[in-house]
Amino acid sequence: MNKKLTLTDILVTIVIAIVFSVIYKIWGPLYSAVSLIGLHVEQFLYGMWFIAATIAFLIIRKPGVAFIAEIAAAQGEFLFGGQWGISLLLYGLVQGIGCELVFALFRYKNYRLYVTCLAAILATLGSLWLDMYYGYITDLVWWNLTLLITNRTIGAIILSGFFAFYLVKALDKTGVTNLVRPVAKEHYEALEESER
Amino acid sequence: MDLQIKMTWLHHVNPMVKLFFLVFLFIGLLLIHHIHFQFYFLLFIICIYLFMTGCRTKWLLLLSLPLSILFFSSFLSMALFGMGETTWWKLGIVHITEESFFRGLHLGIRTVSFGLLGLVFALTTTPVQLFYSSMQQLRLKPKFAYSFMASIRILPIIVEEIIILKKALKVRGYVYSKGLTGFFERMNHYSVPILAQSIRRAHRIAIAMQIKQFNGDTRRTYYYKIGYSRHDIFFTLVVTVFFLVSVVLANILPVFPVDYVR
Repeated sequence: MNKKLTLTDILVTIVIAIVFSVIYKIWGPLYSAVSLIGLHVEQFLYGMWFIAATIAFLIIRKPGVAFIAEIAAAQGEFLFGGQWGISLLLYGLVQGIGCELVFALFRYKNYRLYVTCLAAILATLGSLWLDMYYGYITDLVWWNLTLLITNRTIGAIILSGFFAFYLVKALDKTGVTNLVRPVAKEHYEALEESER
Repeated sequence: MDLQIKMTWLHHVNPMVKLFFLVFLFIGLLLIHHIHFQFYFLLFIICIYLFMTGCRTKWLLLLSLPLSILFFSSFLSMALFGMGETTWWKLGIVHITEESFFRGLHLGIRTVSFGLLGLVFALTTTPVQLFYSSMQQLRLKPKFAYSFMASIRILPIIVEEIIILKKALKVRGYVYSKGLTGFFERMNHYSVPILAQSIRRAHRIAIAMQIKQFNGDTRRTYYYKIGYSRHDIFFTLVVTVFFLVSVVLANILPVFPVDYVR
């Protein structure tokens, strides 16, 4: 099983990331508009910004893919003039590392729903860590901070966990994921048996 | 109507030099908690944004519209619910203090600064320039850079596909449910075919690119050669001068009654 990233893997990852970077860009104004409601309702939408990493990993299933996808999506959003500007690159980096860590922890062999959700949670943690410096969130009143953290985590689990997982499942049914997924060991074994 | 009227000197600055300064300013602004400095520096960024990007003012104002919403949202959430000692106003859960008010203002100013800097970069750099420069100056592997450029070229095709999909669903008389279910139905109907088709296309393009040796190393030749020029020196000077002038102005001409927000 070849774990190294080929040009095909990279191109597919980046195409997925760029598609999502357009969604990220549209998501920005939506997020700001919703945030005017107050009480951190907008945080439920925050999870969308981790979805490129989880989806790309679930499709290609190789080391490094989640990280590259998140960075590329952030870079894309930056290039299309995303409203957070330069800070996007740093957030993309940290969120990408968050997702990648979880997948690495399961040695890139577990593609279940709970792993996807865990990746979303760790990406949330990464973004919260940056928000301590960027948004001074630790200076919020405690109940407000708790509300922010809970809302963001729930949103991340729903969007980058559940939604990403079921979207890739739907993609599996179209057969397109077989094009890019590394061939598993049993496929080679099956081939050898038929040769005999 | 065209977005760009003319090319300015900012277009000729090496993208990597621009990016380096943006990252440098980003870290700088993140570590400086001095509100007056942030304020004066924002004024300079607004000058660059309005007068040096060579875009129509109408478009510039339109593009910065989301930033004003962002300013208010980041300002309000900190001003209304931030911690602080000197109470100005209290009603139920809302508690405005002097500290939280200025911290909110500081956050708003900083968010707008980052946003505008990002827009300046995006408006004066084409993706092709950026990725060619990152291959030549940063030694980014060509397979990454060309993948980026190919992906950006694929976008118009995806937009076309979305339009076709929309029409196809309309012709077949698809009716969405109301509320949140409808939203997820819509997401499903669009995202699955679009993603599937994009992956197929990317796969085909990747094979073609592999045959044409786009996965080679950095010792290849490039169609566009991007080097350094006098514009880079000028850019460095402008940023440094703006930075220093802001520091001086912040110290002699304070605008707010509070110096530090932390």
